[in-house]
Amino acid sequence: MEPLKVIVTGPVGAGKSTLIRTLSETEVVDTDAVATEAIGKATTTVALDHGTLRLDGQLLHLFGTPGQDRFDFMWEILSKGALGILLMVRADRPKTIPAARNILDFVVSRTPVPHVVGVTHLDQPRVWQPEEIALFLGTPLERVVGFDPRKPEEAARPLARLLELIGTESV
Amino acid sequence: MSKQEQLQQILSELKAALPELKEIIVASPDGLPVAQLAESEIATRLAAMAATAHGLGKRISTTTQLGNLQEIVIRGDQAYFLAYAIGDKGILGFTTPAGSNLGLVRLEAQEYARRLAEVL
Repeated sequence: MEPLKVIVTGPVGAGKSTLIRTLSETEVVDTDAVATEAIGKATTTVALDHGTLRLDGQLLHLFGTPGQDRFDFMWEILSKGALGILLMVRADRPKTIPAARNILDFVVSRTPVPHVVGVTHLDQPRVWQPEEIALFLGTPLERVVGFDPRKPEEAARPLARLLELIGTESV
Repeated sequence: MSKQEQLQQILSELKAALPELKEIIVASPDGLPVAQLAESEIATRLAAMAATAHGLGKRISTTTQLGNLQEIVIRGDQAYFLAYAIGDKGILGFTTPAGSNLGLVRLEAQEYARRLAEVL
């Protein structure tokens, strides 16, 4: 089976790099640089993250994007040839959800392939529920998956959902 | 003089030393424009791209065991984009025409990157 390219995108701090580090079975290519803005963490991805894993016999290549708008050229470069999109959103930072929608529109308009929304940080106080995020993004609820990208047993969940969609949907 | 003014001053001196340079920027490691001799929209764009190129360049250097990354060279048929680390505090980037004396440009750029590092 051909390897399948998936783009992992979403606003800064959603857990994109974490997800790829948790799941990759090969050495992860990451491009962290010191963050000079207050983004709640010390470093941020400036080019890409890359990792691979095998899921249900299918080899997946995960390409993680930077989250900030100023890196939108990387959203475009990395989405070329992708067969699925995992959009990651932080449930405890509702202010970033419009940014998530903007990224999704940007990527889908150039690469019209199925997407799944992965909702992270649901263990924090005062969060938006997956239902509310689905409504805001206009994404069917069955494509919105709450999960913790730090936990190996959960991290593959949205990708498994995405694989099902890629298998059934011709876009 | 504020830090910003000092950075601008150094960029002006670089431009005076190498008048053929265009679009000179200093970017933070995470791609924000810190100082520039370029139109603001282009500077913002170039700062992000310089950080991306530098981040990826560093990663390629370690993967292929090149040692420490010294320089990023993007060569078009009409001009170059060159970028240099300012210690670990930022990136100096600029464009220069295809006919430029790259040896000289490189020496000057490294010297100015050192001066920028003292201010940043």
